Formats: sequence, structure tokens, C-alpha cells
Amino acid sequence: MMALRAWWSRLEEVRKHAGKVLAMNRRNLHYIYTRNQRKHFPLADDKLLAKEVLIAAGVSMPRTHRVYSYFYELRDLEADLGAYEDFVIKPAQGSGGNGIIVIVGRKGDDWVGISGKIYTAFDLRKHISDIIFGIYSFDLGDRAIIESRILQHAEMTELSPLGLADVRIIMCDEKPVMSMTRVPTRQSDGKANLHQGALGVAIDIASGITTHAQFLGQPIAKHPDTGIAVLGRRLPFWTEVIELAERAAQAVPLKYLGVDISISPDGPLLLEINVRPGLEIQNVNGRGMLPVLEAITADEEVRDEQ
Amino acid sequence: MSNQRSVKTRRGAYIALLASMVSVPMAVAAYKLYVLDYPLAGLIPAPSYTVEVAMQVDGHGEDIRIQTYLPKTDGRQSVDNEESSSGVFVPNMHSDPLNREVTWNAENVVGQHNIRYAYSVRAHHVRFDIPEGMPIPESYPVALAPYLADEPGIHKDDPQIESAVNRIVPAENRTMLDVLTRIHRHLQDNIANRNFSGYTDSLIALKLGEASCNGKSRLFVAMARKLNIPARLIGGFVMEQGSKRTSHQWVEVYVNGHWVPFDTINDHFAEIPANYLTLYYGDQALFRHTANVNFQYMFKTTKQLVPQRDAQDALSQSALNITNLYAHFERVGISQNLLKILLMLPLGALVTVVFRNVVGLETFGTFLPALIAAAARETGLMWGVVGFLGIVLVSAVIRRGLDWMQLLHSPKMAIVLTTVVIVMMATTVGGVQLGLFELAHVTLFPIAILAITAERVALMEAEQGALKVARITLMTLIVIAACYAVMDSLFMQSLVLAFPELLLVVVALNLWLGKWIGIRVMEFMRFRRLILEAAK
Repeated sequence: MMALRAWWSRLEEVRKHAGKVLAMNRRNLHYIYTRNQRKHFPLADDKLLAKEVLIAAGVSMPRTHRVYSYFYELRDLEADLGAYEDFVIKPAQGSGGNGIIVIVGRKGDDWVGISGKIYTAFDLRKHISDIIFGIYSFDLGDRAIIESRILQHAEMTELSPLGLADVRIIMCDEKPVMSMTRVPTRQSDGKANLHQGALGVAIDIASGITTHAQFLGQPIAKHPDTGIAVLGRRLPFWTEVIELAERAAQAVPLKYLGVDISISPDGPLLLEINVRPGLEIQNVNGRGMLPVLEAITADEEVRDEQ
Repeated sequence: MSNQRSVKTRRGAYIALLASMVSVPMAVAAYKLYVLDYPLAGLIPAPSYTVEVAMQVDGHGEDIRIQTYLPKTDGRQSVDNEESSSGVFVPNMHSDPLNREVTWNAENVVGQHNIRYAYSVRAHHVRFDIPEGMPIPESYPVALAPYLADEPGIHKDDPQIESAVNRIVPAENRTMLDVLTRIHRHLQDNIANRNFSGYTDSLIALKLGEASCNGKSRLFVAMARKLNIPARLIGGFVMEQGSKRTSHQWVEVYVNGHWVPFDTINDHFAEIPANYLTLYYGDQALFRHTANVNFQYMFKTTKQLVPQRDAQDALSQSALNITNLYAHFERVGISQNLLKILLMLPLGALVTVVFRNVVGLETFGTFLPALIAAAARETGLMWGVVGFLGIVLVSAVIRRGLDWMQLLHSPKMAIVLTTVVIVMMATTVGGVQLGLFELAHVTLFPIAILAITAERVALMEAEQGALKVARITLMTLIVIAACYAVMDSLFMQSLVLAFPELLLVVVALNLWLGKWIGIRVMEFMRFRRLILEAAK
């Protein structure tokens, strides 16, 4: 009898904690479908369209140097790219960081990638052709964007020496819900993608201080490659980061969003927005985000009634 | 304000739709059951046995004759789908009121020859209650005289049988129930079961205190007749999945106008189970044949569930029935089988929805598992799965090769589909060549489903890699198997055929699942650290 009661109270406890996790069915039904109309999805899927709207609203983003939409535009590619010391090539409709090449400088006639890899003019022409061909997009064909390369703030480089870390903030009804920074590792091959083995570090929204970290599904306190402690750090420009995320959320009609931001020495820059932000951020933070979401929506109901 | 009103209106519409999707079909089903008197028991599929008797002889130039008994349809068992192949042997049937005898004759037989006879059987369990205190009649109609007589092997008039009967049964107050119970218990408890196939007469069984079915049955009949109760031997066969050579004998006793069965080998008192097949009445040999021909035989039994046809035919007499609708489909050449697949598709889709939204498995497309399970109905689950895996593999390999050549999407997909079709046809030809006829059925896999599968697999492999394709293939297989189990269930098929309005209940369940925001099982695993460790 006692055992049964103990088991029952544990079950109740499990139910209570399960109720704090935002899961797929609820995310789709209560947050994505009700807050993001399908007709607005292209805003998030097409980086060029999003950039147009966001920059018009005063959101800081990396500068677009050039856009290639057709093969004939690649005639003078070498001369075009020769104008920039460093730059980033990315597909307008790519996802998961695929198809991105970061160029940091030149070596003779060739270009040097961030990992030290040498790209000839032929290599870059081939890559941009592949992007236009639609290799990295869900559609049949795409556009290639040449953007200014973001330099990372020194404090961020200390945390993430193997590549550009991004800050992901979940925004609901223009308010921040939960955040983390995704730090590339050797495992993730320089990509800031948790599924590919990037390190996820949770950030307290109010203070900007890192609180939890997760690597390959396990809690961790140090960077797996450098051994540097990743917890208890205050991220630079945190107030500005949150302001930027709020401004971006106000600029688009999508009300449940993942906002990705990078922190440069001069302040935060918005990278992209995502209409179906993942749920893994809860494991990184070591808590479910439903209580915060419900607090935000409860506030709104109170305001509606007044 | 108006926004809130529209939310309320929408919720009201949802609840009204949900309620009507449950109540309308329930009302129609209740009307059919209570007003139109639909037989509900007829929906449960019944076990059916296919029995194949294989006989073999070696001839050395002589004339050969083989005789055996075939089962008859009676009140307890029904026999149909009879088929035979006898080669050089010419069959000759002979029926009398009790038995159906078949004789195969052939002249100057040289070498090994096979005769095969197969039929399917459905039979009932029967059980009789013998009233307590019922006396043993003193006389019977003349027609029953043979069942009271002494005959070779059944030594009714032998003094040893008489003294044994007097030992077992008290001299006074002999009632039918008491006498039969004592004989049955004596044979069951004091005469040991021996499993040998030779002939044992009633006296030898009594003396040895052990016997196989035929000895025990003869002793039972001799004792019953001695006590003035008509009794007879039954020859038959216990239908069990598999192959065997043993036939069986039991007895029937005439009680109050009924022949009541007893089996003292398997302890069935006034009853026999549904898997007993009656082949002949009387003290006969199941097989008789020309001597020295090395006669061999084997019974092969397969058990399967079949819909109760008669009950379903009865349904079509009622108004408001889908079987009346079938006539319309048949007029344009759409078979009932295809219609059944159509009716089962919504159930397959529901199973898929449960696996996706409640369990949290990912599959190729929302309804692909249901469609593949429907296709596998024609080939059986195993070959359906083989076909599905073949398509996944071929499309992935072909797409890789074509990617290297850099083709545009649509022509590339057309080539993938063409290759899949060619591979399927080659599989069928190869299957027939090798004698693997089940493999040949893979071509029955509908082409439209091949096209969808091939395209999905190719796209996913390109976008998310081979490992992801392998994972989703595995999960899709699990869902296909579950869909198949539901869609192939005869009970579900009979239910939906009789009550097609239940498809609205499927809609209701989907309406409910469409608002279900619980954590999927796979997500529970994914977030188990947040849920279980926090709960400690």
C-alpha cells in the first residue's frame, strides 16, 4: 500500500515535470499554427526577403555584397570577389548551416577559407553554381548571397575558438522565452548545429550569464576541445542582443520565432530567423520552457480583458 | 473582441462536429443491431482448416486399388472446396446414408505415384447434457439392432466383458448417466493410453489394461451394448496445424434420440471439440489398398481464420447495408476486394497518425505506411516489406549515380521510377524461374505507391543523408507492420463492411488526436532528464 502510494506520488511528480516541457504537438498547435500564418513563412525561409524587411525596420545584419541568381552572372566572378578582403558565401534558402563557405583572405590568385583550406576561382564558381542549382535548398533552384564576414567579439572567441558561435533566442509575442549559444566543436566540423555535435550553452535571459551546457546529449561544464570553463560567463553586449531580438520580432508578422544572433566587436548582428525553432534548447537549459510561455500568454489575456 | 468570438465559434463547431461524428454512426449501428437484427456474432471470423491427404504407392506392374473415406457435411461439420489430383488413378465415389467412400483404381502400375485429396472444414464444438435419473430403455426401434449386436472385435457377448461390466456398474438402479459415467471413467482412468497404430479388439484391451484409441473405443462400444445402450465407432481425424499420420477413433452412444460422442483417450464426456473431423461411421479401416505396394499417407492441416460468409450474406438482405452498395461497384468492374482495401485505408491512416503523433515515430509521408500495408495485402506482409526495402535501396543507389551526372530533378525522378519498375519486373521473372512464386507477387505492388516512395526516399537521402533514411525506413517498417495487422484483421474488415458508418468514428478520433497536445513517447525519452531527474 505504501509502495503504491509512493509510486503514485512519483507518477504525479513526473506528470508535473512533463507538463513543463514544450513538446512537438503543443508547439505546433498552440504556438506555430496560431502565431505564424503560412503565408508569412517565405519571410523566414528566404534569407534575402527576410533581410530586406528586417533592415528596413532598423535591424543590424551583415552587409550583402552581391547576390547571384543566374549562371551568366558568374562571368566576372573573380573580379567581383576581388573587391573584398573577406566574405561569406551562403545559399538564400539553405538550412542547418549547409552550403556556407567563409573566406578569410587571399593567397596569390586563390582564396583562403576559415579552416585554412585553399579555394581556387574554379572551386568558388562551382560552389556558387551548385547553390543556384538548388543543391542546398528544398526548392528547385536558389540564389547565392555574398555577405560581409562577421568578426567575433574577443570574449566570444574565448568561448568559441573553433568558429562563429551564434546566440539562439526563442521569441513569443515579441518577448524572449529562452536562449542559448551554439558553439562549434571539432565534432561538429565548425558548424553551430547541435545535431552535428556543436556545444549548446544555456544563457540566463535576464543577466546574460551562462548557466548550463550540453554536448552530444550530456551535461558538460567545459569546452570539450579547449577545456575552457563555459559556465558562469557573462556574454558581451547582452542588453543589445535582447533589444536586437525584440526589434527583429516586432519587424515580422511571425509571432513564434527562433532568432539567431552573432556578437561582433561592434555589437550584435542578426543572422537569420526561424519559424520552426527546435525544442532541444530545453535540454540545453535543463528545464522546460512552457511555464515562461504560459506566463507571457497569461499577461496578454489579462491585458485583453482590461 | 471579435477575435474572441471567432475562437468561441470555432470551438463550438469543433465540439458539434466531434459529437455528431460519434453519435450519428452509433445511432445508425444501434438501429441496425436492434431494429434490423444484424447478427453481431457473425462478424467474428471462424477458424477453418484445410486438410490435405497425400497418399503414395509403388507399383511393380500390378493393378492397384486404394479405398478411403471422405468427410460429409452434417449438422456439426461443413466440408467444401474439395479438390483432388490422382494422376493415373481413376476415382470412383460411393455414398450410403452414413459414409462417403472413394476408390481409386489403376491398371499395370509401374513406379511411384501420388494421390492428393484436399478439402476445407469448419466444425463446431458439441456438448450434450444427459438428464440425471433417465432410465436405460428396455427396447429400441429395429433399425438400431446393429448397434446392439456382437460383431468381430466387439465382443459384446463374451463372458469376460459381462463380468467386467458387472464389476464396474452396480446391479441395481442403473441409469443412463450413471452407467455412461462409470464406463467412461473406467476406460479413462484404469485403461492406460497407448500410442500405437495396430488393431486392438475389445478383449485384448480389457486383458492388457492398456490400448490405443481403436481398442478403447471397441471396449467402450462392447460394454455399452452389453448394457443395452446402442453404440457405434467413429473414425476421424483431429485437425491440428502441421503434418501427421495418426487418425483417431471415438464412439457415439444413442441417448434419447441423439448420437452422443465420447472420447476416452482425450477425456471428452458427451462432447467433442471443434477440431474433430468425422470421416466414417462403423468399425472400418480408414485406408484399404492392394497389398505390397508400399502404401504411405500423410495428413497435412493448415488452420486459418475466415469470415463467416453465411452471416455476411444474411446482412446483404437487410436495408441500409453496404453490401447493397457493392452491386454498384461490381457493375463497373470494381471488385469487392478492392472495395475492402478502400474501406480499410482510413483505419491504416489512423494507425499511422497514432504512431506519428502519440508515439513519435517518423515515417515516409503521412499515409505511405497505410498505402504500403494495403499493397502488401496482395503479397503478404513479408513480401510487402521485401518490396518496400527493394524500392528504398534501388532508388537510393540510382539517385546517387544520377546525382553524379548532374541532371534536373523531374527527369532524374522519372529515371529512378523506370529503374524501380524494371527491377520489380526482373524480380518477378527471376522468382518464377527459381520457383519462388511468392517473390513473383512483388509486381502486384501498385506502381503509384512505388512512385511516391521512390521520390520521398531520393529527396530525403539528398537532403538529410543515408543514416537518416535508414532510421526512417526502420520506423516506417514498424508502422507498416502495425497498419497491416489492423487492415488485414478479418474482424475489422467484417466490422467495417457491416457498419461502414464507423468510418465517421475514425474521423472523430482524428478530430480528437488533432487537438491532442501531450508529449509523444519518443519525446518523453528525449526530455527524460528534464522530466525524471527533476521529479526525483
